Amino acid sequence: MSTASAPPAAQRGLGADAPKSGPVQALLDRRGLAKLLLLAVAAAVLVPLAHATWTGGGWPSALTVDVSGPLGKTSDWIIDNRDSHWLFVYFLGHLSNAVVLSVRAVYLVLLALGWTGVTAGVTLLAWRVAGPRIAATALLSFLVSGALGMWVPTMQTLALMVVAVLASVAVGALLGLAAGLSDRLFRILRPVLDTMQVLPAFAYLLPVVLVFGIGVPAALLATVVYAAPPMARLTALGLRGADAGVLEAVASLGATGRQRLLTARLPLARKELLLGVNQTIMMALSMVVIASMIGAAGLGDRVYQALASVDVGAALAAAVPIVLLAIVMDRTTAAAGARLGADTATGGPAWLRGWRAWAGIAAVTAVLALLGRLAGSLVWPGAWAVDIARPVNDFKGWMVDHLYSGVPVIGGTADWAAHFTNWVLNPLRDGLTALPWYGTLLVVAALAWLIGTWRTALTAVLAMAAIGVLGVWKPSMNTLSQVLAALAVTLVLGFGVGILAAGSKRFEAILRPVLDVMQTMPQFVYLIPVVALFAVGRAPAAAAAVVYALPAVIRITTQGLRQVDPAAMESARSLGATRWQMLRQVQLPLARPALLLAVNQGVVLVLAVVIIGGLVGGGALGYDVVTGLATGDLAVGLVAGVAIVCLGLMLDRVTQPTERRTTGKGA
Amino acid sequence: MATTSAGASEIPNARKAADAAEDAREVVFSVRHLWKVFGPKADKIPDDTSVTELSAQELREQTGCTAAVRDVSFDVHKGEVFVVMGLSGSGKSTLVRCLTRLIEPTSGDLEMDGEDVRAMDRTALRELRRRRAAMVFQHFGLLPHRTVVDNVAYGLEIQGVGKAERRERANEMVDKVGLAGLEKRRPGQLSGGQQQRVGLARALAVDPEVLLFDEPFSALDPLIRRDMQEEVVRLHREEGRTMVFITHDLAEALRVGDRIALMRDGEIVQLGTPEEIVGSPADDYVRDFVRDVPREQVLTVRRAMRPAGEGEADQGPALTADTLISDAIEAVARSGGAARVVEDGRCLGVVDHACLLDVVARIDRPQHGEVAA
Repeated sequence: MSTASAPPAAQRGLGADAPKSGPVQALLDRRGLAKLLLLAVAAAVLVPLAHATWTGGGWPSALTVDVSGPLGKTSDWIIDNRDSHWLFVYFLGHLSNAVVLSVRAVYLVLLALGWTGVTAGVTLLAWRVAGPRIAATALLSFLVSGALGMWVPTMQTLALMVVAVLASVAVGALLGLAAGLSDRLFRILRPVLDTMQVLPAFAYLLPVVLVFGIGVPAALLATVVYAAPPMARLTALGLRGADAGVLEAVASLGATGRQRLLTARLPLARKELLLGVNQTIMMALSMVVIASMIGAAGLGDRVYQALASVDVGAALAAAVPIVLLAIVMDRTTAAAGARLGADTATGGPAWLRGWRAWAGIAAVTAVLALLGRLAGSLVWPGAWAVDIARPVNDFKGWMVDHLYSGVPVIGGTADWAAHFTNWVLNPLRDGLTALPWYGTLLVVAALAWLIGTWRTALTAVLAMAAIGVLGVWKPSMNTLSQVLAALAVTLVLGFGVGILAAGSKRFEAILRPVLDVMQTMPQFVYLIPVVALFAVGRAPAAAAAVVYALPAVIRITTQGLRQVDPAAMESARSLGATRWQMLRQVQLPLARPALLLAVNQGVVLVLAVVIIGGLVGGGALGYDVVTGLATGDLAVGLVAGVAIVCLGLMLDRVTQPTERRTTGKGA
Repeated sequence: MATTSAGASEIPNARKAADAAEDAREVVFSVRHLWKVFGPKADKIPDDTSVTELSAQELREQTGCTAAVRDVSFDVHKGEVFVVMGLSGSGKSTLVRCLTRLIEPTSGDLEMDGEDVRAMDRTALRELRRRRAAMVFQHFGLLPHRTVVDNVAYGLEIQGVGKAERRERANEMVDKVGLAGLEKRRPGQLSGGQQQRVGLARALAVDPEVLLFDEPFSALDPLIRRDMQEEVVRLHREEGRTMVFITHDLAEALRVGDRIALMRDGEIVQLGTPEEIVGSPADDYVRDFVRDVPREQVLTVRRAMRPAGEGEADQGPALTADTLISDAIEAVARSGGAARVVEDGRCLGVVDHACLLDVVARIDRPQHGEVAA
């Protein structure tokens, strides 16, 4: 609630005629008001000063620093020295070669196994670790991928994934182990990891390209940087969260530090470790697909190429295997985690357990691979492929003709997009651009301070100022307007659906599988249906962002409302409260921390997709990154990347409720 | 013996245990002036005479420190069940952890079998924890990912015992605590009582000299708790292993304890046999504590008898001096007259209806107990 009411309050502060006389003491008693008052006083002094020095609404050019020169020079230097400098020759070069070699090796193995071998191997593996249902899903998914004519790109993506996930898990586990065992390292790493998790994937592309150039090594390293943090975070948290009673019991039996780690702490953290692997896999897949922009071949590349020519059919044919891959990987690791986490002995016949099962899997895979080879069909036979691109495009053509505009009463999808752009996005963007920059800073400060602490407010303001200093104020305001508009839609829909789902068990049961699937899909995939529906532009980018962020918001809202103390609900009901009264006076106030978390998650997710929306006409910062990559003008892309990081930081901090605040609220 | 009496005399209000004087029993743990202080500059507190006399609250206000264990001294004899009892926050759990330095004591002397525990290096300390003192915890502390038998064998595994041998020992222990047939279960599939039996078996498996119990049955249902207490009493009777038993439950303390140390705010308020604690509370706090104890089930006729009157010394049923009051009531009620208290063929005194009723009704008359003793 406070998020909604805060901007006018902050703007009142801008007027700088805060009530200084009168019941100041009474105002100071309320923390929120005291903060605003302090901010208003600061504004009263600083704003006229700033206004007198630099006139105009946008960020004053006197305060910008042109970084494109030095950045360009750095880029040139790297290109010049890539073959001669020791840093590249002895370290980065080897790294890059190792990456290329290992990806290549995995790819060749996959190809050598043939489609029969790979499908059999993956299916049996899924059966072994996750049970027959998920094995069936895996089998079906690989067959569909083949049938869509996407076997080779699927294998390319799979090869990249195997190497990227192994590397991410190794790096993440090592970092997590260190942070789990050392308090100091944990204090240093935790904020870094937390922040890395809120940054959009696009922000990671440019730096690796700067160092490695476009190609597989850059794509893989960007993936590792993006996907390792959840593993590190969960490993550290798992090690730290180990039951103190068990650890004490282990110590009382005289275990050495090593014994304690190997026999107690790591096994106790196995649930978190597996969750870390699961998250890492999902993040890696998401990034491997996006990294097609910096040289990763495979499914993502097909989608990217298709989107560039607005070929929805081809994009869909490549997107379906991505989604299927995501579902198989997520379900397999999640089920494996659930099985390991259960404190029950593993059941099933003996041949399904232990080394015999693994040997069986290997044997069956080998036999099928051999059969495939003998039959001469290593790659999925072309005759079996189904071309869905043409019918899909035909369907899209029909949609363009019949649904885009002129539908009686409700109008067409393109009309909606145009209306959304004209009536929401444009005014918002123009308003943000016209708002004096110090005004924007003040609003940011007020919001962040009201919800969090002065620290979060300071970070948010500094991040915002950095955007101005970098000289990308205008495109950033454009991006921000899209984020805010998409966020507003997401929250209205998300809270609405969340409240409904919390109220009705049946509705939630219907919703859950839908949300499950939506949450596993990589960000990139969401662009395809919105392009089909709304063509290109800023509105479809915002729509994709809404669809992407919606599941998380719905889920957090539902859980938050469900977890409200049943005793409080019961007492309200016993007093004769109506449903609406209970929702408004009991559930929503008690679920406040969850709702704030939903806003925070919503912001982070919306930003990630709004940035990617640069690919489908979203413009602004995302477009700068894309053009920077496409034209090799790394300076433009890098500056946009830094601005994205700053924007992400600012949005996260502004919506980040501190723990103190949430617990204090409950008292 | 010298240390025993010295130790006992240094403890305020502590009475010498009746049987401690009988023979020079070996001392397993010898604790002298032990302190454990939490807080800033904790190590300064025990030596600072200006603050050592303060109450717990004053100490916290003045120094910001909490003294969980304050100047505690006692001996644990070989083969006895030594109970440390107190309410939550009295420092009893901290005290038992100090014995194997799971919590490092701030100051004081701590010996096990005459060896200075506080001077031990890590290897020696690990050896002590591995083989000489094993602990049973309130919340069991079992490894959820291991089966019952692997949990029981865990202590042996840590010592480096081979797989076959430790399995065999563990199975033996599982049988001993009555869990036969559940070897392959995981802790999550067991009830609380069964889990604690696993914890007990794990401690027994390493064949330790001392068993340390930290409120082992507090998390269990009352009926199961009683079963487990009987299990401990049985084990003690069979093996005669030394036990240090922490509890907040007076009934439990009286049931299992040979001697009881009652703690309050980190200090031992009274140390003695159950009979001494119930019969002669050291101060109002202890008196309050033992108010609801059914005295006839703890006190013996030694405490109730009066000097034999004329002609009484050779009449009526004979009772030994350690007969419980409740049993004496039955004997007196059956005979209809006074009963003699006999030790070594000598009549110490007599008990009649009035004496016994006085005990049950908590009326202390000076001629009882003290006179006879």
